Amino acid sequence: MTERSLHLLIDEVILGLADDAEVARLETMAAQDPDVAFQLARARDGFLALDETAETLVLPDGFWSRVESGLDDAPVDGHVASAEIVDLSTVRRAMSRWRGMALGSIAATVLLALILGWSVLTPVAPAVIAVLLNDDGEAIALVEGRPDNTTLVTLLEQAEVPTERVMQVWTKPDEDGPPVSLGLLPTGRSETLTIDGLPAPHPQQLYEITVEPAGGSPTDLPTGPILGKGLARKPVV
Amino acid sequence: MLGVARRMLRRADLAEDAVQECLVLVWRRADQFDPTRGSAKGWIYTILRNRCLTLLRREDREVATEPAEFDRAEDRIVVDQAFDRLAASSDLRRCLAGLDEPTRRAIVSSYVLGHSHGEIAGRLGAPLGSVKSWVRRGLGKLRECLS
Repeated sequence: MTERSLHLLIDEVILGLADDAEVARLETMAAQDPDVAFQLARARDGFLALDETAETLVLPDGFWSRVESGLDDAPVDGHVASAEIVDLSTVRRAMSRWRGMALGSIAATVLLALILGWSVLTPVAPAVIAVLLNDDGEAIALVEGRPDNTTLVTLLEQAEVPTERVMQVWTKPDEDGPPVSLGLLPTGRSETLTIDGLPAPHPQQLYEITVEPAGGSPTDLPTGPILGKGLARKPVV
Repeated sequence: MLGVARRMLRRADLAEDAVQECLVLVWRRADQFDPTRGSAKGWIYTILRNRCLTLLRREDREVATEPAEFDRAEDRIVVDQAFDRLAASSDLRRCLAGLDEPTRRAIVSSYVLGHSHGEIAGRLGAPLGSVKSWVRRGLGKLRECLS
């Protein structure tokens, strides 16, 4: 199958224009080939925006109890029942309360996943990402700079900082200018730093972490040893 | 979800059935969901839209390729509304806007209303074969633009 005809098949299946045989064919291909599955999911997500244009409607009263009873009915998706038949109706009745709770939890989880997915994926895409390396070339921290100069610093190894000393994060917004402090990592853990008054971070901007006296560098310029440094790159999104 | 189903099926009772069946399927197939292959939302909505399409076919809609004038007008409003509501910044909107109007309507109406090639052809008074090849060209352009 050519790439072009595969793409067409995927698109027609997503739009609902494909017949049952074509849908089944694509599903088989996707089950066997992760690349096809990935392409299908990606194309599907591309059209998702159209689903979001539908009106938000409120579910009627009693809807969830109908769903719950639907779970007790025969499977609708063609699962073949086992030949050994065991009467589970009593167990099922006993389970229905738990099932109700579980279903409620699923609904809440799905909602949470959607909200989280939305908030994580949409507005906060970093403008630049820098991997900070130490002198041995090992990655010690990941720095994500957002356009509003919120900086996420994720430490990739436990730094050995003497007591009375603190890690300080620096950047050079202007290649030829002095380093500017983005903030301290007093807990020695990953943190989100915010700072006002800097231009949005750009690719090739230098980021580094140094060890400074407690309270931060007295000169407002890096004075201590460098734990790691790296140049920012623009992520491909 | 109910909004998507209602838009496609038009009837409140059918739409509720579709959402209900979809949730039952989500519950049963939860083990098949693979987060590395696209969003949960996309997965759930695909299940929902498939249920809707099955219900639509059960209603024998594919035979009715000559809808009443009133339905046509309403379909057109729904399709245009779906397109207009896409965020101005979205790639899908930009790429759909690059298609000629009948192609765009055909693609959006198949996704949003579940129209088959036959229904699209019936609405346009065009031969089925040309509608198919013409939607295919549109999909090709759309994919090129989105990639």
